[in-house]
Amino acid sequence: MGVKKTDGSAEIPADWLAEFEAARRRPLKLRWKYAFIRTYKPVLDDARYRSFDTTEEYRKWCEDNLPNWLGYGRV
Amino acid sequence: MAAFEYRQAEEIRDALARHGVRYLFIGKSGAILLGYPDTTQDADLFVEKNPENGRALVSALLELGFRLTSTQRQEIVRGKDFVQLKDGPFDLDLVFAPDGIEHFEDAYQKHLSIEGFPVCHIDDIIASKVASNRAKDRESLPRLKAFRDYWMQQQRGRR
Repeated sequence: MGVKKTDGSAEIPADWLAEFEAARRRPLKLRWKYAFIRTYKPVLDDARYRSFDTTEEYRKWCEDNLPNWLGYGRV
Repeated sequence: MAAFEYRQAEEIRDALARHGVRYLFIGKSGAILLGYPDTTQDADLFVEKNPENGRALVSALLELGFRLTSTQRQEIVRGKDFVQLKDGPFDLDLVFAPDGIEHFEDAYQKHLSIEGFPVCHIDDIIASKVASNRAKDRESLPRLKAFRDYWMQQQRGRR
């Protein structure tokens, strides 16, 4: 079971709703602590600085250089 | 590098405010500030693109401990569309032209302040992720959109 949206068009799945409710009860500082994790992302984390003239150039760089499984490629 | 701590987020907020930088949290870090429960490892800042704002941002970044060469400082002042910083106390993406948002001012008009953190409206965060059309965003969008509906209900309940 979920909760109907106000326009009645769909429901928020019950497990997501429970997560949203639980998050709402937490203070921001604790939400932040739970949210920010450190994982190594190959290639992406291997340079200390990168810049791109355009966002399109950045997206293209991600597609050409990052492993597909990281999910940075466009669909 | 350790995970990005809340204390560091406060330092960003306070340093950028001291220097008068016009910016908004966007992306997943923005959604998390709004209450979205998920994980990430860096913060994305949507920065207004103009030289004065860029100079203020560089000053704030140096104060926060980011090591920037003269060329890098110039690129930030110039407002290259996307700058990735991984040579400071935490990882930061500076986004001067996010997908799906035409003008900074439009997003600024709709922004929210969460404990002093300026954050894009959830609709702009979603618009940006939809427009970027990345595989990882496609996977996370249904849950983020569900959160948007939940969040909007909460906002209406507060009025």
